Amino acid sequence: MELYAILQVTWWLLLGVLLMGLAVMVGMDMGVGAILRYVGRSDLERRIALNIIGPHWDGNQVWFILGGGAIFAAFPLIYATAFSGFYVVMLLLLWTMIMRPLGFEYRSQLASPAWRNVWDWVFLVSGAVPMIVFGAAFGNLFHGVPFHFSWDMTSYYTGSFLGLLNPFAIAAGVLSLALSAMMGSLTVMNGAEAALFQRARRLAQLAAAVAIALFAICGLWVHALDGYRLTGGPGPGVPQTPLQQSVALAPGAWLSNFAAHPLLWLLPLAGFAGMAGALLAARAARSHLGWWLGALAWIGVIGTAGAALFPFMLPSSTDPSMSLTLWNSSSSRATLLWMVGFAAFFVPLILWYTSWAFWVMRGKVTPEQITRGDEHAY
Amino acid sequence: MRTFLYFLLYMVIAVAVIFLAAVLGAHGAWYFAWLVGTAMIVLISAAGGALLDTQEEHAAQQAPAERDRS
Amino acid sequence: MMVNGTVVALSRIQFAATALYHFLFVPLTLGLSFLLAAMETVYVTTGKPIYKDMARFWGKLLMINFALGVATGLTMEFQFGTNWSFYSGFVGDIFGAPLAIEGLMAFFMESTFIGLMVFGWERLSKGQHLAVTWLVAFGSNLSALWILVANSFMQNPRGAAFDPLTMRMQLTSFPQLIFNPDAQSKFVHTSVAGYVTAAIFVAGVSAYYMLHKRHVELAKRSFRMAALFGVLATIAVITLGDALGFVDARVQPTKLAAMEGLWKSEAAPMPFNLIAFPSQAQRRNVADVRVPYLLSLLVTHSLTGTVPGADALERQAVRRIKDGIPAVQALHVLARNPTDAAALAEFDAHRKDLGYGFLLERYAPDLNDATAAQLERAARDIIPPVAAVFWSFRVMVALGLLMLAYFVITVLYTLRNRIQRKTWLLKTAVWMIPVPFIANEAGWLVAELGRQPWTVFDVLPTWMSASTHSVAYMAFSLIGFVVLYSVFIAVEMYLMVRAIRLGPAEHGDAGGPGPQVRPSLSPRPLPAAPYGRRLEG
Repeated sequence: MELYAILQVTWWLLLGVLLMGLAVMVGMDMGVGAILRYVGRSDLERRIALNIIGPHWDGNQVWFILGGGAIFAAFPLIYATAFSGFYVVMLLLLWTMIMRPLGFEYRSQLASPAWRNVWDWVFLVSGAVPMIVFGAAFGNLFHGVPFHFSWDMTSYYTGSFLGLLNPFAIAAGVLSLALSAMMGSLTVMNGAEAALFQRARRLAQLAAAVAIALFAICGLWVHALDGYRLTGGPGPGVPQTPLQQSVALAPGAWLSNFAAHPLLWLLPLAGFAGMAGALLAARAARSHLGWWLGALAWIGVIGTAGAALFPFMLPSSTDPSMSLTLWNSSSSRATLLWMVGFAAFFVPLILWYTSWAFWVMRGKVTPEQITRGDEHAY
Repeated sequence: MRTFLYFLLYMVIAVAVIFLAAVLGAHGAWYFAWLVGTAMIVLISAAGGALLDTQEEHAAQQAPAERDRS
Repeated sequence: MMVNGTVVALSRIQFAATALYHFLFVPLTLGLSFLLAAMETVYVTTGKPIYKDMARFWGKLLMINFALGVATGLTMEFQFGTNWSFYSGFVGDIFGAPLAIEGLMAFFMESTFIGLMVFGWERLSKGQHLAVTWLVAFGSNLSALWILVANSFMQNPRGAAFDPLTMRMQLTSFPQLIFNPDAQSKFVHTSVAGYVTAAIFVAGVSAYYMLHKRHVELAKRSFRMAALFGVLATIAVITLGDALGFVDARVQPTKLAAMEGLWKSEAAPMPFNLIAFPSQAQRRNVADVRVPYLLSLLVTHSLTGTVPGADALERQAVRRIKDGIPAVQALHVLARNPTDAAALAEFDAHRKDLGYGFLLERYAPDLNDATAAQLERAARDIIPPVAAVFWSFRVMVALGLLMLAYFVITVLYTLRNRIQRKTWLLKTAVWMIPVPFIANEAGWLVAELGRQPWTVFDVLPTWMSASTHSVAYMAFSLIGFVVLYSVFIAVEMYLMVRAIRLGPAEHGDAGGPGPQVRPSLSPRPLPAAPYGRRLEG
């Protein structure tokens, strides 16, 4: 295989890793935000929940920013086409997401219950909406997105906002929300005690059960969807535009990769095992184990979606042969190579200091820490 | 008046530094200059802060009347 | 590929509004993080707790500002894709890389360690915490570095070439991209402008405390450190502004012509338009006040250097547009057949003026029958809106010089430890707080408005770059941003002013009467040691 093709696959995998990092790390913070009003009944309890992720939400959020940056750098056409095509949804995602940093910094600055109540609703919205959008975006990939290109690669999106809210996408969106609620609950369990811990424990089991059901439903549903299959084109490692390939549609074609490579079935298996394991761990009150199993569940779910779609990244329903694949939408060889160099150096470094930050701030958040006031708590 | 003269003097020095840096920097490696410059700015600022404590201790040793002179 | 003109205009307004808004918060973070590092360095080396109080108090204000900087930064990252999709596809191969590296190298570092900086006072050793604070400062400034490397590609596209096989610009040299002279000087200029902003902010707030005889010991020290920090930073920011002008004179002559209100080319030594009232329609300055020799000295650092005026630049543009027509036509052929040898040869012969061909396409969608009038119109487009750029530039420079004078005076008094008695100067210091913010915004306008009509200078015109949205979509998003951002700024200003009024709640000195806060603002009695980021329990 030529170096360029290897780089393309490398970046496809790296993007997958970043999306998994995003789902696990941002998803857990979003989950805590979304369940805040339920698990925290008093202001003190809610503050404990917020302070469990307090030192880390900011760093975690960078997974999201890095995910966006990596798509831009490694697959510019995907970034350009998806972000502009999903305009209204992207704005919803953005507007809800940018409220969240303010929620953390500003919520507890004033003691007024009304003020704090408003921010608690902000946490709910800014936790739930982005995770639903995240899942629904993946769901729409399986349907194809109504876009096409003109001769000079100007993209035109011809669908409507409501078209993105089809049943399969909603199911995928709720699956994503359930997984993040599960991770959020497990995170709260990691850092909380007493009633807060118990409520989070119940919620983690419920969310895991919902996620298992939805993942199974989505998996069966995919059989009935029209899948895309690359039937011709310049192929891997060749500089090209999306105007030079041919694509055919066939029912169930999204599962052809699994048929060709049975080992891929390990991915959905990991997804189910992770969810079921997290459920059992939550039941047994072993939240740290549950958290790692929950992370495994995310890896399994996103890996399954990626394996099914490969080599497609953004299928077009308007003109399937204009679908974006990793072969026709990636950056040039030089860019991918430089970026691999930077990623190889910095990703391990990031993992190292992120782990250190979690280790420094390890342990339970107690009510005394919050009320004492000298812990600079949120 | 004395303060005004000092003001003028320091303004002249500041302008001279800008002029020098502009000439030297026409082909300069600014990234390196930033690194050195930032470290310098931070350290001078830190030294200035620490100096205040020394000044105050020194002033405290003087007679109160002398302190009021200025 | 014609994008509706209204949509382009609305996209530009939205981008400018959100970028200017974002840039209200960023410079303060860039500078304040290093000031915190300076304060904490003094704390760790001398062991005097007042410097720890200072680091914590200013750290609290930093966090209020930082939250909005992070939040509005998300918008910027989204917006290239949502609203400038053609641009993103066309130059994403080059432009995306610095943004991704920014995340990898800088933003992760800044964001991870800022959590530890705020929450880690009891958990980290003194030295560890100091290191964390320094890492936050470097992280935030390295962030700016990569953003400005990306931005400089738009100003002076180096290290890239158009590839007809993929129909986009592609990276040819990464070192050329990051060592772009525009990137070098603009990064230092911007980062140091952040230092100035933070210095004025800290000095102004400290002056407020000294005026009210509150927290005097803390305020005195903060003021001195800010003044020293500020005077050096202001010298650097002016120096780098000069360097940037020097770079622009060579790589962006149209921007320079707009900055200086230069309609007609003149012989050396060129005079400087101190004040002028440019008229875009008449292609001249309606009135002006000029200083002889100065322009040649400023932008070429010699008495014999000249820079071209708008007239010469437009004549040159006509030539380049004519040369660009065959490039665009060859591209049409190559889009259908990427291996057409004749079209490839034709394209290679004219590729450097491809962007100028695009400029003409705006007025003559079919380049085969472009008229002389259309060509003239396209050529006139290359001059950015002169009056706006000219005056933004004058405002920025005037405020820069004002801040220099201010810092020289304050350093004088603060080094003699007399600042707390100079009431007039303290009052001035409070009123100076908005000045750097205005200068920063003006600087952004000079840089980005002066780049028009291009998104990537000489390569990609703005009119082609926008996404193909409907006007209704754009109206929806613009209204959404205005509403949301207005609420944000109101909340932020309220909390910032409130935190300043409450002040550092506890430190070593007898700081006079306590916080004079209106009862409605002070919901609970202050707990024993409530500084840091939280004020009440």
